[in-house]
Amino acid sequence: MATTYTAIAEVTLGSAAANIEFTSIPQTFTDLVLKISARNASTGGVGIRCQLRFNGAANDNNLSFRRLYGDGSSTGSDTGSTGHVAWMPDGSATANGFSNIEVYIPNYAGSTNKSFSADGVMENNATAAYMGLFADLWSDTSAITSIKIFAENGQNLVQHSSATLYGIKNS
Amino acid sequence: MSTISLKSKQKYGTLLAGNEAYLPSYESIATVIVGSGGQSSVSFTSIPTTYTHLQIRGIVRKAFSSGTTALKANFNSDTGMNYTNHQLYGNGSSAGADGNATGTYSNMPFFAIATQQSDTAYGAFVVDILDYRNSNKYKTIRSFAGYETNSVGFINLASSLWLSTSAITSITLATYASGNIDQYSKFALYGLRSA
Repeated sequence: MATTYTAIAEVTLGSAAANIEFTSIPQTFTDLVLKISARNASTGGVGIRCQLRFNGAANDNNLSFRRLYGDGSSTGSDTGSTGHVAWMPDGSATANGFSNIEVYIPNYAGSTNKSFSADGVMENNATAAYMGLFADLWSDTSAITSIKIFAENGQNLVQHSSATLYGIKNS
Repeated sequence: MSTISLKSKQKYGTLLAGNEAYLPSYESIATVIVGSGGQSSVSFTSIPTTYTHLQIRGIVRKAFSSGTTALKANFNSDTGMNYTNHQLYGNGSSAGADGNATGTYSNMPFFAIATQQSDTAYGAFVVDILDYRNSNKYKTIRSFAGYETNSVGFINLASSLWLSTSAITSITLATYASGNIDQYSKFALYGLRSA
């Protein structure tokens, strides 16, 4: 029986850090699945955007997203120019709460631009909390060999933030 | 069957000797298919703590007069005011979002199917619970679900927070509306390992 769903790596932060990064991603799978359970150290809001960058990029060049979202009382849909994939709670949200985000990256080793999708939530013991569905594009034909997960504001992810990377094979 | 190592000449009692056991990353833990007459709730108990994440996939239906209802879940038999819930939803003509603090259950997918609308349509759902045994985290649940009857339908992304750092060892699923979950509804619990 073919093994179609394989854990590649997991990172759990033993102390606060600016990001979680998976490097040297094997090129032997068809698609990637990324599960993110993270929290941000900043305060002042309820949630902060969770973002991705690939292959060691230092900026958001060639990244874009389209989203449908809810904030606990209203909905919206818009676009932007980052690798935004849902939100993670910040220090103003209920303590001990972490995001629950899944990112699907098909054809990550191929030579076409990389489309990926995400659905994610963050919780808060109040009316306000963020969730959404995301369509993202990295307009780059390079194979994805590394993925960095970080908060929009660049502040640290807290201890115990974690992410698991899975590989999907079609044969 | 025994085997002998070609390198060390050591004899083993099993063909697996000298090799690590293969543990799949995505594994079925248990499946419940509701039988004739339906049942009021579905429970997964004694959930192993050997995985990193849990996922529940299924189809569900309820003989309900009209409108929608939803699944609700309680973890480890906790029915206290220890849950928060939020959702984003659409019904084919409008979208909305809402949220509630401090409830007595985890809000799960909306799914109700009015019997008179379609006897064959079931709602489909996927529920993800990350780090379900992590004692440093409250448990954040993400549910994605929908149903379609060719006349009415509903789609919904829901989230919930169980305000507990306990490992989840049991899950009980029921519906808001009274009465049984219909026959052939199916609930499959999976475990996901990390590397």
